[in-house]
Amino acid sequence: MRSHDAADCCADAVTGLAEAVLSEIADLLDQFAASGAQSSIDLSGLPMTDADREKLAQRLGRGEVQATLDVAGQTDVWETQYAGVWWVRHFGGNGQVISEEIAITHVPAILLTHREDARAAAERLRKACEVLEATTAADQSSAERDSIHA
Amino acid sequence: MREDKTLAQALESRGVSRRAFLKYASYVATLMALPPSASRVIAEELAKARRQSVIWLSFQECTGCTESITRSMSPTLEDLIFDFISLDYHHTLQAVSGAAAEHARTEAMKANKGKYIVVVDGSVPLKDGGVYSTIAGITNLDMLKETAKDAFAVVSVGTCAAFGGIPHANPNPTGAVAISEIITDKPVVNIPGCPPIPEAMTGTLAYLLSFGKLPELDAKGRPLAFFGETIHDRCYRRPFYERGMFANSFDDEGARKGWCLYKVGCKGPIAYNACATLKWNGGASFPIQSGHGCLGCSEPGFWDKGGFYEPLAAATAKLDIGVGAAAVAGVAAGAAAAELMRRKKSAAVDAANSKKKDG
Repeated sequence: MRSHDAADCCADAVTGLAEAVLSEIADLLDQFAASGAQSSIDLSGLPMTDADREKLAQRLGRGEVQATLDVAGQTDVWETQYAGVWWVRHFGGNGQVISEEIAITHVPAILLTHREDARAAAERLRKACEVLEATTAADQSSAERDSIHA
Repeated sequence: MREDKTLAQALESRGVSRRAFLKYASYVATLMALPPSASRVIAEELAKARRQSVIWLSFQECTGCTESITRSMSPTLEDLIFDFISLDYHHTLQAVSGAAAEHARTEAMKANKGKYIVVVDGSVPLKDGGVYSTIAGITNLDMLKETAKDAFAVVSVGTCAAFGGIPHANPNPTGAVAISEIITDKPVVNIPGCPPIPEAMTGTLAYLLSFGKLPELDAKGRPLAFFGETIHDRCYRRPFYERGMFANSFDDEGARKGWCLYKVGCKGPIAYNACATLKWNGGASFPIQSGHGCLGCSEPGFWDKGGFYEPLAAATAKLDIGVGAAAVAGVAAGAAAAELMRRKKSAAVDAANSKKKDG
């Protein structure tokens, strides 16, 4: 007979939700393959146990792409063994998972560079170039003065 | 003050990228039980928004609510809310500033007329002209009415502001009332709890900022995303309740094995809150996980429900609390049925919950 303690009924329990989610992912992947319709499933909103989540992760496996982002805490993104099915796991500042989703898409939005970030980066890079040019010019001028005095 | 720069522009120089906005939006969408597709919309709206002026009034309170929302070991994603709002006045944090703080409050009201949010923690005493709690010589009642007059919305954080809380407990010597009993001409969102879960406060503020409207509320003015289910509904110990396996005291076998705490006074079956899912201290634990029953602190009159260590069934016999009593009776019937008929537990519990919800 099984012992009855708290661990039996929470983290270790397998509820069957992993299979249900897997089936939903299969439907959504069919739609993405047929029409390009992108979609996602918020795993954080489902009453999955740790065991359910582990089971889903095992069934989906890991594919060709894995990325770690440093964006206000860590974010892990990987494509599963099923192309177009991505797992996105966001961590908060204390290392706790704060949001987790399955994205059925070409590439999760969090990996893309936003145009506004690119614009800001272009400004910064231009300024960096100007500083570099100014520094180089000053160095050359200084070197020329030194050679004349020599 | 409300600023001309958008949040994205204001935070760009600090290296906060659009990815950070998107990540924060995913977090808010998860908190508020929105579809994942809402993340992009929230991120775009937050990036375009201006810093939201917030005036925080502290009345009959213990400062626990402020502790809950501000306590953090290091800047994290969850703290980005403090970059999204402009906390123009906070009575407790600015107490030493005296007249300058009061000036900041009136200036923020003028500059953001019709757009600012008033957050209130603490109840308001009405007895004897409200003399039992004053700030800068102004009664809480007068300050609330004056400050809320031109606000976009009022957010009552903590059970004292939402339902009267501990100051309202029997015999309520100061005539304390909830904010919603005074402010009746504009939206009031209640985020109860003693203290409230920080994510419930920040998630609601982020929703207001992103969508410019209130989230969906229950009949007691609480955001459904956080208060839509009872602690009991989402409790990891619920399977023990359904099997009729209870702790009968805090040091018996049941307590040591983590069985249901219903018989030692857990108010989880009538407490609508998100402690069982969001938990506390960065998701470390919540009272039931730490071996103590839920006090039901997010419900009206939680202090007067017959004793924290009395089972709900006992409280029912002592109190006539109208609708609440019906809910309690429903749960008590469920507990008894579960214990007596373990093999038929599901039907009994369903019936009990159905009664509770109807009640």
